[in-house]
Amino acid sequence: MRITCLVLALVAALSASAQELTARIRSARPFGYFVGDLIHARVDVSGPENAVLSRASLPKPGPLTGSLDLRDVTLRETVENGARVWRLDLTYQNFYVALDAREIEIPGFELSVSTSAGAETVKAPAWRIGVSPLREITPQKREEATDYMRPDGTAPFVDEATPRNLAAGAGVAALLAFAFVARDRAWPPFQRRRARVFSALANDFSNRLAGSDDSELDAAIQSVHRALDTTNGATLLSSDLPDFLCRRPEYRPLRTDFERFFAASKRRFFGGDDSSDEFRGEQLAQFVTALAKRERSG
Amino acid sequence: MNDTLHVVEKLADWRARALDFERDIQKAVLGQTRVIRLVTICIFARGHVLIEGDVGVGKTTLLRAASRALGGDFARVEGTVDMMPSDILYHTYLGEDGRPRVEPSELLRLAETLPVFFFNEINRARPQVHSLLLRLMAERSVFAFNRVYHFPYLSVFADRNMVEREETFELPAAARDRFLMEIPMAAPDDEDARRRLVFDPAFHDTETLIERVTSGSFDYRRIPEVARAIQTEVKSSEALERYVLNLWKALVKPADAGLSLPDVDVSSLIKGGASPRALAALARAARVRAWLEGRDYLVPEDVRDVFIEVMAHRIFVDPIHALRGDDIVKRLCHAAFDATPVP
Repeated sequence: MRITCLVLALVAALSASAQELTARIRSARPFGYFVGDLIHARVDVSGPENAVLSRASLPKPGPLTGSLDLRDVTLRETVENGARVWRLDLTYQNFYVALDAREIEIPGFELSVSTSAGAETVKAPAWRIGVSPLREITPQKREEATDYMRPDGTAPFVDEATPRNLAAGAGVAALLAFAFVARDRAWPPFQRRRARVFSALANDFSNRLAGSDDSELDAAIQSVHRALDTTNGATLLSSDLPDFLCRRPEYRPLRTDFERFFAASKRRFFGGDDSSDEFRGEQLAQFVTALAKRERSG
Repeated sequence: MNDTLHVVEKLADWRARALDFERDIQKAVLGQTRVIRLVTICIFARGHVLIEGDVGVGKTTLLRAASRALGGDFARVEGTVDMMPSDILYHTYLGEDGRPRVEPSELLRLAETLPVFFFNEINRARPQVHSLLLRLMAERSVFAFNRVYHFPYLSVFADRNMVEREETFELPAAARDRFLMEIPMAAPDDEDARRRLVFDPAFHDTETLIERVTSGSFDYRRIPEVARAIQTEVKSSEALERYVLNLWKALVKPADAGLSLPDVDVSSLIKGGASPRALAALARAARVRAWLEGRDYLVPEDVRDVFIEVMAHRIFVDPIHALRGDDIVKRLCHAAFDATPVP
């Protein structure tokens, strides 16, 4: 609020000295208020630097008279030129429905201040403002009673499209962000099931291996190795088997089959002599079927 | 046919004695089964060895025990910054008549009977000494006193001082490539072995400890013959050879093989190494491992078991990664194993 430094009422002065307690009231204007208007006033209370204002003595917001409310009280405390200054910003509201221009009184109040001389009281005196009527006392005669009523103000037109579009955009962005986080954290439905490599291989073998020759069997054994590598996450050698079965306990019941498979693969690919090898297509298909079964149980 | 059968039988017999040789060394060197196995592989692959280990973990004891089990002599020199090649070849002293004498050094005197030569702290010696050593390792011979000395049974074991950097001369790439393996040796993990090493007085006296080893449990003079037979008789299948070549390809061009390491750009990681000689050494060592396991054919496990020790010290990475030690090379090797399918 810009206060025009119009001194309305002054001065309840105990003395002119800076060490004395004084109160000065300023207001924007002393007239021109209507019913419902807010009246802003600033009360500067100054006193000795070591003085202490009792907060309990401040005026309390609330009804002051039948037609005047105190709405708000704000206190700031400073030291200026060796004197302590308490700056009270008071906001009143006028409810007096004036029928003619007249003055009403804003009641004064007292503040308690402790100084080195003891407890003292400084009084902000009552002051007056001029209030005015909103309309003439006897309005011009009208035919209809409703003609005395002022029409309702037109409601401002608010375009709903922009906020609706913004809200929809924000919603889509939020959903996308949530989907991204869900995918990153593998929350459902992004929690992908492990590929069932052995099941796929078993399906493939069910048609292919019957009556297969040596080269087909070699390819089949290699495809089982690749499936095992995929399941292991790295190339799986026979010496890795204990560690693999420890990490993937669902395959543990097949330990003997694993050992037989690796031994057969070793003989076939590295040992050179596979003439006495009894591990043929049928046994390989059985092994893969057993793997597929364990894979589904895992 | 009969000759082949004869060789196979002899290989089986030699294998039994090689395992005795390992067990003999284990009497003196506790909790180092893996190191002893690798040293055995190197001896029967006729390779030279870099031993990487802290002081006091038993490197000298291991080599002395190996030398005794082979029934041969043992020689040792300490690398120093002022050492010159002549210090290794010549023994100079003042004779009783006060005149200077120059005689063959211990190394030259034992040339014909020396299976184990230990060069301690090789990186303290100057490059001139490294050059002499290169010839000794590559050709198993040196030139001194106007003639060539041959070392028909020699394996060089060298230890690098990895603690100090001052006054050391890092082995050049060519020298490192001549070593079949770099074997790490650390104190044993086994609690009981540690306790015995600390509190059992038997392990405090190296001389007594070495006495435990049966002398000549495997005659060192048979090693060249056995080594030849192993390399001839242990077969490698086409699938195995393809596997080794794929591993090689993955090491040389890791990015092309789809390898990746956390925090490392593998496309610019490898600067050299992994030479054909390295891969040949890998095959030699893997064959000996297969023989020791009682097989006459190679399996991928043979290759994998010796791969890091044979290959890691011969792979040279970008200098920006070199300060991180050989860990990055080992990680690359493991990534190559994981990504290379077999068979």
